[in-house]
Amino acid sequence: MAQSGKGKLNYRCPLCFMRDLDIDMFYDKDKKEYYCLRCQYTGDEADVLAKNEIIRIKYGRMYDRITDFD
Amino acid sequence: MDNTFVVNIIHRPEMVPEYAEKVTGQGKAEDIGRKALLTESLDIFKFQQETAHKNGLKVTIQMTYASLFNDEACELAKKDHEQYGDEIALSLLGLPCKEFREKYKTKDFCIWMFSMEDKKSIVDDVFGKFYDRFGFYPESTGSYYMDAELTNYIKEKYPMVKCAVATCWEEGPKAYHTCNNSWYTLFDGGPWNPWIPSKQNTHAPAANEAEDSGIVAIPHLSRDLLACYDGNGSNFGTHPQNVLRGMIYDTKTWEYPYLYNLIDQYRYLAKFNNGYSYNMMFVGPGWLNKMGRWEQPYELLKKSYEDGMAYYGELKKKGELIDMTMAEFADFYRKNKSYEEPECALWKDILYGSDKQLFWYADPYMRACVNMDQGGAVVDLRPYASKIKWEVGIGTKHVQDASYPFLIQEKYRAGYFTHYAGEGTVRSAKVSYNGEEVDLCLCRTHATFSQEGKKRILTLDPVEIEFYDLTVKIGTRIIFEEGSSNIQHERTILEMSNPDAEVEINEYIVACYGTTEYPEDMTGITLGVIGDNGEKTINYEYKCRDEKLEGASDAFAVIPAIDTKVSLSTDSKEGLGYIEEGYAFSPMFKLGYKKHISDKEVIKTWLNLEKAN
Ligand SMILES: [Zn+2]
Repeated sequence: MAQSGKGKLNYRCPLCFMRDLDIDMFYDKDKKEYYCLRCQYTGDEADVLAKNEIIRIKYGRMYDRITDFD
Repeated sequence: MDNTFVVNIIHRPEMVPEYAEKVTGQGKAEDIGRKALLTESLDIFKFQQETAHKNGLKVTIQMTYASLFNDEACELAKKDHEQYGDEIALSLLGLPCKEFREKYKTKDFCIWMFSMEDKKSIVDDVFGKFYDRFGFYPESTGSYYMDAELTNYIKEKYPMVKCAVATCWEEGPKAYHTCNNSWYTLFDGGPWNPWIPSKQNTHAPAANEAEDSGIVAIPHLSRDLLACYDGNGSNFGTHPQNVLRGMIYDTKTWEYPYLYNLIDQYRYLAKFNNGYSYNMMFVGPGWLNKMGRWEQPYELLKKSYEDGMAYYGELKKKGELIDMTMAEFADFYRKNKSYEEPECALWKDILYGSDKQLFWYADPYMRACVNMDQGGAVVDLRPYASKIKWEVGIGTKHVQDASYPFLIQEKYRAGYFTHYAGEGTVRSAKVSYNGEEVDLCLCRTHATFSQEGKKRILTLDPVEIEFYDLTVKIGTRIIFEEGSSNIQHERTILEMSNPDAEVEINEYIVACYGTTEYPEDMTGITLGVIGDNGEKTINYEYKCRDEKLEGASDAFAVIPAIDTKVSLSTDSKEGLGYIEEGYAFSPMFKLGYKKHISDKEVIKTWLNLEKAN
């Protein structure tokens, strides 16, 4: 098996991101998947993108333009 | 001052952008002299300059050491200085380049981490090189952190320097953790908005001319005062790509209202600071990498920078923003601020959708955070009164750790909630009646801000405490008085379901000291309680002891490791003062004051900070 490299974009591990860790993932081209060196996450690009949307649930007002700061 | 929102925009031509070499160079052996890297770096600088100018905004160009070897970078700076009034300044970031590595034989790049000898030699080197290039010395400088010894040296040798980027708010253990424990920018505990650093410790503002370091410090970015306190600071600041790093944008529309909400909440702070508010935006070139950054393609990185500048530009056109260079800002600050005027921020959650509200306060004697969601408890406290001498860098006791020590830090050393045993750091009060006890930390509320002369007052919405057969309504006012070095808590029993009842109020502070999550040695701390009836003391030995004194006026702790004395005092004669030593599983101390009070009664206590040697 050949060594892993970086993918087209430099995806971070979505599960580590959820616990406030920025961990770049590496790409295993044999298995066509990204994987995390620190936790047990693996997934293809579609899965990473889907998980990245889930991450955003913590930002309850992410889409709001707030004008009242009282 | 009428509403004045000042913005500093800073760019640095970095020949080897942080991240770029590691990120875009993955799979290649390190080569910081790569031609492609140099060309890309300059292109980014040009793009940033053009974007600011297109929006009518003035820039402070912070030349890096590496860029001083580059003719094109220097010419660009001169041209933009002439055409747009940009300031040509000098950054102590961006040291890495072939010339630097050859001369200093190290890969270190953070100025505050070098030995004092190297700091001096690097400063002379870069200032000298700058002079050779431009024929004058810079008025502004900066890094992510500037230790007091470094600033003092610069000021002594180059007295024209009047402004510096000197810290990055709450960039400490949290940023370190987020970066897989590999990013050593450990400097929690400073002000979030500009200040005049003292000669003794950069974080602690000067109280007078004798303490004045001679510069006006600005923070590296304006950061979210709630999100950054419990999260990765680098996701929540006036740095468009930091917001992208936090994934706080709509992936379909590429919109990020949070960036504008953050800028606007900073503008709103004028309400608490005599009409003045401030923003700083400083995007390093590594964030506008052609290869993209993490999930974000270059197009999105670029769009976010254009949008950020456009928003500032729009505010300027409406007359709601004044753009200044750093040197101009230093003059403005000196003209409009006094040493003891505090920086205040009543801040609300604008990201997560909670109703939480914090109040941040900083002056030459303390930095404090009051949490309204915990009944007005003080959840972070830095004793600036002690102006701790805290040298950093190779050859000192603190090679990397430049944080200002805390007495209270609810995230690192637990607040109200602990697991199973012991106590965490917080300053709150407990109310007891007939064997039942309620901590005000569990009474969620909100505050309004007011100012009376030299007093900044937080008035909390009253809270109700429900005991089995008694309901008590309590009002709290928290008063910060300029120059007093204390925080006054004033509690009033506003109403009781049984007006003849008496409840016991227990005002307390649980504290320790440190700069990280881990406990420090508490041995050497002296606890005492003092009053007309004498004095009792405990020398800390983790023996879980306590002492009480009827009619006490003060309960105190002297912490030699951080030159600090903290005390809780009262003007009442009829209460019971107490001190509690902790134990190994609860390495804290507690100072408190208990009193029985009845309907309409008021109890006042002060948390005082002093330097102790
Ligand atoms: Zn992971």
